[in-house]
Amino acid sequence: MRRRGTGTPDIHGVMAEFNTPHDVVEAAHRVHAQGYRKVDAYSPYPIEELSHALGFHHSPLPLLVLLGGIFGLVAVYGLQYWSAVIEYPMNIGGRPLHSWPAFVVPTFDGTILFASLTAVLGVLALNGLPEPYHPVFNVPTFALASRDKFFLCIEARDPKFDRDKTRDLLRALPGVVDVVEVEH
Amino acid sequence: MKGLQAPAALDGLQKGALGAGVAGLLLCALGFFTNAEQLYRSWLFGFLFWTGIAIGCLSITLIHNLTGGLWGLVIRRLLEAGARTLPWMAVLFLPVAFGLPHIYPWARADVVAADALVRMKTAYLNAPFFLARAVFYFGVWFLLSHMQSRWSDELDRGVNYLKTSRRLRGLGGAGLLLMGLTITFSAVDWAMSINPHWFSTVYGVLFMVGQALSAMAFIIVCVARFGGEDPLSRVLRKEQVHDLGKLMLAFVMLWAYISFTQFLIIWAGNLPEEIPFYIQRLQGGWQYLALGLVLFHFALPFAVLLSRDLKRNARTLAMVAALVLAIRVVDLYWLIAPDLAGHHGAGAPGLHPHWMDLAALLAVGGVWLTLFVRELRGRPLLPVGEPEIKELLEARAS
Amino acid sequence: MAEHAPSAKRIQSETDALIAPGHTLASITEKIASLALKRRTPLGWFVGFGISFLLLQALLYTLAVLLFKGVGVWGINVPVGWGFDIINLVWWIGIGHAGTLISAILLLLRQDWRTSINRFAEAMTLFAVACAVIFPVFHTGRPWLAAYWLFPYPNTMGLWPNFRSPLIWDVFAISTYGTVSALFWYVGLIPDMATLRDRAKSKAWKIVYGMAAMGWRGSARHWHNYESAYLLLAGLATPLVISVHTVVSLDFAAGVIPGWHATIFPPYFVAGAIYAGFAMVLTLSIPLRKAYGLEDFITMKHLENMAKVMLATGLIVAYGYTMEAFMAWYSGNPYEKFMMANRMGGPYAVFYWLLILCNVLAPNLLWIKNLRTNTTFLFLISLVVGVGMWLERFVIIPVSLHRDFLPSSWGSYAGTRYDWSAFLGTIGLFLTLFFLFIRFMPVISIFEMRTILPEGEGGEPKS
Repeated sequence: MRRRGTGTPDIHGVMAEFNTPHDVVEAAHRVHAQGYRKVDAYSPYPIEELSHALGFHHSPLPLLVLLGGIFGLVAVYGLQYWSAVIEYPMNIGGRPLHSWPAFVVPTFDGTILFASLTAVLGVLALNGLPEPYHPVFNVPTFALASRDKFFLCIEARDPKFDRDKTRDLLRALPGVVDVVEVEH
Repeated sequence: MKGLQAPAALDGLQKGALGAGVAGLLLCALGFFTNAEQLYRSWLFGFLFWTGIAIGCLSITLIHNLTGGLWGLVIRRLLEAGARTLPWMAVLFLPVAFGLPHIYPWARADVVAADALVRMKTAYLNAPFFLARAVFYFGVWFLLSHMQSRWSDELDRGVNYLKTSRRLRGLGGAGLLLMGLTITFSAVDWAMSINPHWFSTVYGVLFMVGQALSAMAFIIVCVARFGGEDPLSRVLRKEQVHDLGKLMLAFVMLWAYISFTQFLIIWAGNLPEEIPFYIQRLQGGWQYLALGLVLFHFALPFAVLLSRDLKRNARTLAMVAALVLAIRVVDLYWLIAPDLAGHHGAGAPGLHPHWMDLAALLAVGGVWLTLFVRELRGRPLLPVGEPEIKELLEARAS
Repeated sequence: MAEHAPSAKRIQSETDALIAPGHTLASITEKIASLALKRRTPLGWFVGFGISFLLLQALLYTLAVLLFKGVGVWGINVPVGWGFDIINLVWWIGIGHAGTLISAILLLLRQDWRTSINRFAEAMTLFAVACAVIFPVFHTGRPWLAAYWLFPYPNTMGLWPNFRSPLIWDVFAISTYGTVSALFWYVGLIPDMATLRDRAKSKAWKIVYGMAAMGWRGSARHWHNYESAYLLLAGLATPLVISVHTVVSLDFAAGVIPGWHATIFPPYFVAGAIYAGFAMVLTLSIPLRKAYGLEDFITMKHLENMAKVMLATGLIVAYGYTMEAFMAWYSGNPYEKFMMANRMGGPYAVFYWLLILCNVLAPNLLWIKNLRTNTTFLFLISLVVGVGMWLERFVIIPVSLHRDFLPSSWGSYAGTRYDWSAFLGTIGLFLTLFFLFIRFMPVISIFEMRTILPEGEGGEPKS
């Protein structure tokens, strides 16, 4: 319960709890329609409509992975060409120095390797993981977000955020079980 | 159920196809009197291409019987129509049967007398056995396409759904087994034995994949053409177009995989009995076709089909499919024409396409397309007995 | 829509239950998480782990002897330079393939039934790859000296690997495969690690699972990127898994030895890998579901589908044998003909015919539905296929090598006791890792199981 300054407690946001995926999607729609943008929802499994409702755009990950793959392709083919033709030219079995049919195979693996590494590092970076501390874990019932409960959190950094009005808005949502403040 | 007949636009297509077929046949007749040997060889090329589409249709139908999925129900009648042309293709096989010595060296007594290796193979490669096998292949294909359409019709009429669909699944399993063997050995007989010295164990698989790809591309072109019209438009959604696109991508990749590994193994082995196949196809102008195959049979369609949005758009997908269909022609030509010219190995003649190659492609294609449309119009365009299709039609009606 | 959508859905739900009725989000979570979190370890686990761990010691002993005396302790010599070691490499790598196939290809094909078996199938992949790499690494004799010709790094001798060699392709393919499989597995585990973190009772385990979860909180933003990453990894793993066994097949096919040099090797090795891999998944999942009461999640539908995949891939493998035999004759090449005659009637012919029995004839019993849905029979047939695929590699590798072009260089081959102890030892390693996995990790993907629940039970809203 850290407090910043001496005035009101500086909170992360206000969080509403729901029992069904349907309710949280509906809540996300309404909150988004009210103009809130710094909103996040929490669910035990991926719900495509939830990210639509919150107005998320296409993930940039596919493009990053494509670039990672192209890098791997060029790098591994380049390595083979450079080592087999320029740096260490060697007649092996009478095959040409630039044996491109053979070079295709490691190049393929390099492409997949770099694309996969980009995908994994990319998803961690985009999600800001690893993240040792996050305020939402201060909510006592939040452990159920990984079981069978659904949560919606409007964050205090949203320009429209107002402690009382936002809380009342969430309380009025259909299917809401509980609304709590999320402390830092 | 009424209103499920093929759209009227097919009339025009059928007339056009018939016209092209007649024109092609006339040209072929002209060719027969000027250079009969060339005609037989060109005819084989045209025959293999269009029969390949029909065989691919049958294979995909059987695969779908096993896997299920809405994508296949939407196109089932198109696939079945393609498969139902197969008995007629037996008639178009006759010129090949009559022209055996002009096409296949093993059918010529002088070659057999001079070549010990070919003589040894005549236990398998001899005219009566060759023809008997062809009769067997067509018999199997006729039987499979016949049983498929019969049970599919029974579903339309609402005869015992569970039992009939179980039968179709069984046909899928047993049928694919037979397809694997007939496609392989017909590929060995009709295409590989043009050069009786050369062999490759994966050749049959290459044909299976190529035929499935041709059929998929052809069906996508049809879907794009008629998907916007009744009755296909009632059930066709973006998801199904997407699925067809994914399948085409899968076949493109599979084709590239089989083609490249065959090349890599033969290149790495570099054995005198195998490598002439590629030496011949990478010189004298053929190398440009090879490069074209790499670019347009793999690289371009692969790159385009990676995009989700392009796969979901029937028009762009059909453009890719049309390209694939065109390059399938080139692939088949590159595969068989160098050997058809008669000499093998280094010093073989370069790329000299003959006008009769196109004439035969036109003749067989015109006839095939006419038959395809005829089969398509004979039955409802949608398998209305399938619950998933029924549901979509009812949801649309209400 | 839901009201008048009668037949299709109903027909499906009656015959194809992927999860027993009555489950909710909470019950799935608790049931699977409790397997990893519960305090008491069943006695059976200790017995199984103990036996596996003992077998593992045999591997360590063998490798110690091998490093001390040299690879000669294995039965390999001229002309059979590849024996049990390479057979086992191919066998283990092949087994691993089913895991990637289930997790990646079936995901792309939207086959929901993969969901309850993908986690431990992926784990099986990792452990199988670990077992596989032991053989080529120790086959080099002095692995620490082999590094410079296996990996491209600037070394003081100025040497570079020979990229024209299939053996170097192997290094690239298998190391990429191991890395990508591990990444795929770990990415799949992150949300479940968070679930375990939130369920764990003891502080220590909370910290362990919490570190593995890396702060995952199931936010919509997380899931949004996560779904994208998971699909991309599946799309990348699919061609990779096919390429890996292709490269393994090229170890043989790129050479000119009769019996090795065949263009059908790549697709037929891939099919054989999937075949053996599904057999192993069945071998593991049938006892697992019984021991842990997972029949609700790994239903008969799953077992039957795996049996069907086995039947299909088995038939492809049979097609490969047919083509090899036909082309050996059709080629007219005397060496090819001799190779096939030697396989079928030479000193090791019994292995060839056993292989045909195990891999071609026996699996055709799976056409019969009653057998396909009998767990005892499935368990036995999966063992038979496992043996058959091992025999296949025996027939391909030593049997092709022991009689090649020159009769003066013919020889014979038999595995020594160190060959057997190394092979059994890797089975020990594999099972040891597997027992540790089922004790401490969620054996079924919890978050993916949640997604296949019907909507009424808290599942995803279906639009």
